[in-house]
Amino acid sequence: MSARVVVAGRGAICAAGKSPGEIWDAVRTGRPAIRPIQQWDASGWPTSLAGEIAGLDPRALVDDRKLHKLLQRSDLLGLYAADRALDESGFVAYRDALDPPAVAAANDRTGVYVGMGGGSYQNEYEFFPLLTTANGDLATFGRELAATVNPMWLLRSMPNNVLCHIGIRHGLKGPNACLTNHSVSGSLAVAEAAAALRAGEADRALAVGHDAPVEPQMVLYYHQLGLLSAEGLWPFDARRSGSLLGEGAAALLLETERAAVARQGRVFGEFLGSGCTTEAEGLLAIRADGDGLASAIALALDDAEMHPAEVGMIVAHGSATRQSDASEALAIRRVFGATTPPVTAFKWAFGHPLAASGILDSVLALVALRHGVVPGVATLRELDPDLESLPVSARPQAPRSDVALVLNRGFSGCNTALVLRAAAGQAP
Amino acid sequence: MTGRPRRVAITGLGLVTPVGNDVAATWHALLAGRSGVAPITHFDASGFPVRIAAEVKEFDPRQTIEDRKLLKFATRSHVLGLAAAEEALRDAGIRPEGRDATRWACVVGSGKTGLGIGELEEVRRHCAPDGHFHPDRLLTDGFAMDPLAFCRSQTCAGLSLLLQRFGIRGYASSVHTACASGSQAVGTAMKLIRRGTADCVLAGGFDSMIDPIGLASFCLLGALSTDNETPERASRPFDATRNGFVLGEGAGLLVLEAWDAARRRGARIYAELAGDGNSLSSYRITDSHPSGDGPIQAMRQALASAGVLPEEVDYLNAHGTSTLMNDKSECAAVRAVFGSHAGQIGVSSTKSLMGHLIAGAGAVEAALCALAIHHGVLPVNANLTAPDPECDLDFVRGQPRVRRIRVALSNSFGFGGSNSCLALRNPDEVDV
Repeated sequence: MSARVVVAGRGAICAAGKSPGEIWDAVRTGRPAIRPIQQWDASGWPTSLAGEIAGLDPRALVDDRKLHKLLQRSDLLGLYAADRALDESGFVAYRDALDPPAVAAANDRTGVYVGMGGGSYQNEYEFFPLLTTANGDLATFGRELAATVNPMWLLRSMPNNVLCHIGIRHGLKGPNACLTNHSVSGSLAVAEAAAALRAGEADRALAVGHDAPVEPQMVLYYHQLGLLSAEGLWPFDARRSGSLLGEGAAALLLETERAAVARQGRVFGEFLGSGCTTEAEGLLAIRADGDGLASAIALALDDAEMHPAEVGMIVAHGSATRQSDASEALAIRRVFGATTPPVTAFKWAFGHPLAASGILDSVLALVALRHGVVPGVATLRELDPDLESLPVSARPQAPRSDVALVLNRGFSGCNTALVLRAAAGQAP
Repeated sequence: MTGRPRRVAITGLGLVTPVGNDVAATWHALLAGRSGVAPITHFDASGFPVRIAAEVKEFDPRQTIEDRKLLKFATRSHVLGLAAAEEALRDAGIRPEGRDATRWACVVGSGKTGLGIGELEEVRRHCAPDGHFHPDRLLTDGFAMDPLAFCRSQTCAGLSLLLQRFGIRGYASSVHTACASGSQAVGTAMKLIRRGTADCVLAGGFDSMIDPIGLASFCLLGALSTDNETPERASRPFDATRNGFVLGEGAGLLVLEAWDAARRRGARIYAELAGDGNSLSSYRITDSHPSGDGPIQAMRQALASAGVLPEEVDYLNAHGTSTLMNDKSECAAVRAVFGSHAGQIGVSSTKSLMGHLIAGAGAVEAALCALAIHHGVLPVNANLTAPDPECDLDFVRGQPRVRRIRVALSNSFGFGGSNSCLALRNPDEVDV
């Protein structure tokens, strides 16, 4: 038997709040946090809405001031969520009370898996003054380089910065990975962290997803590709017209049940299984029949040794593009048929935070199940009649069991599904 | 886990490196001790403090990739990866087909992405003529909002091209832990087969940072050798006079298969991919602890994961970057893990001839370990003439060493502190 994997700590931040509780309140009460973009004046832009964290000074999120110069906005969000998950778990305090050899062993047996998304264009703009000086002459570019560009530029732009600095801040030294797979990065981080625990490579592992794609060039590219709405993010709605970018981060501390019990830690839920597939038809292509997603769901249920009828609720990807929602509905129907459990989606509340979405949705799914509520998609006015009468509603529904299926879809045709069970007991 | 996990066979190799554009040419150049380091030709580097690199030479992607449309979506790094993947699959004699395509996975370490300097310069001219960025100018001035530039800049763009070209339909992921990326990708791939997620995996890494931004970023850190006058001598891992690494580019892709299935179809098995070790240094962004803490755990885990004793290791393909700190720390780690057996292990860093392929390095070096086992030859650690007393291992100097290898290890340590160690076993050791 491979080890049972439980959720021992959670952290989350996005436009709708800075903790799982705050975000849950916004979702439950139907208050979307999608607003006009603040980071630059986007009032004349074809898309001027996003799920930004209002008034955010990302440096206020991480106390270590030396780190501020070394990290980008997305990284600071990721570190913040990771810190909160560790805090909630009580692991660091537990470890620090051990004797030195046991501390070293605990650090070696704690992994870190981070999913990051599309990266940043703005970071490269730091070369603008040098390019201006060089004016097309690379010899000048080379000569003036050291006098013009921050020597730490590369270290700040590394995709694996959150992984690196979680390790340094908390002394964690176990197995690790940084997944750079667009919107499924976060859910893959959960899948790989859980696999490491099941295989006995570690006793616990942080899974973190972070992204901050709301920047001018990124927004314009997404608009150019027809992925963004000018009006709002309305999943599964007949009037839906595209997605909207959001920013955020979320983290789960996964732990083997044995390790969690040994240190008498709280348990918020259980990881049951994962599935990942690709449709392999190109970076932006999505199959109309939902084939890749249906396969990912089947694999995840298989991994969880569970029948479709045992699933109590589905957190759909629900990005609100015409194509993704339509094929997602088909995939869900293909697996669950006439007995599809209540379906919801959360992006209407805080935008699409790309690599952060898988873990953010997982955190919220566990909270929802503990409250015994499948929250409504508050923006839903009229379910698209083409969407297979999907059981999605603007109003809350009752979950069919304590098990959630969380779906994610990303570029390169990747689809992931996670199966989670909420812990019994009082809502946190 | 109950029982022994599924064994993993390496049945296909593909390489595009600074010393050769395929496996045969690369291996031949390594045995001949031919360096791939030379003055930079990709662009005018005359003003840079470093003007040498290990470039892939005379590479024409259209010779292997006839799909011109696909190439429009590819950066140089991606094209190197596509070509190496083509060779690896041909070499393995197996491809994702029909229903089996869902049992194929793909895991790749992709290099740093972003805009190329040409695209960045275009944004600057339109939106920051005075050096300050004016977002609204993105909307006007006929600035080309080129969706292809966006696609190429995505972190999963290289992965997507491989999936599309070869029709892989199972688990797919792109990973990035700097210089450990390629090795971590191969290690992850091994685990996918072990845990039954896939039966076959196309795994590896590719990178090309030999452009003005990439070179600049390492120059700023002072990480590169400045021996511009003696390029072939510049990369000298473990030498007392070493003064930094040499930036390289290239790709290494491997085809991994479940062992029993590979045997059943009569595949040539280069080696068993027997173990993976993976740790975080959590010390500094760019260095391991001088004690070797971090790499020590990775090597120990790799041995444990492979179920082999330290005494069975005959070859170590070292990370050996030729930087002061890495080489010292790595040697301390090898001493700590192997004790008195450390002196019995033939050690070489092939970066001495091909430079540092960054996200591609670990995958290329894993492939070289497979070739070393297959041919029974240890490639040299070139340019080691003044041994550093703090690096006292049995380096393969002068000539390649003929030796039957039971187990080979490949080390890769990345900026950010990720350490990866892969253990490969001679297939004859598996069957007895």
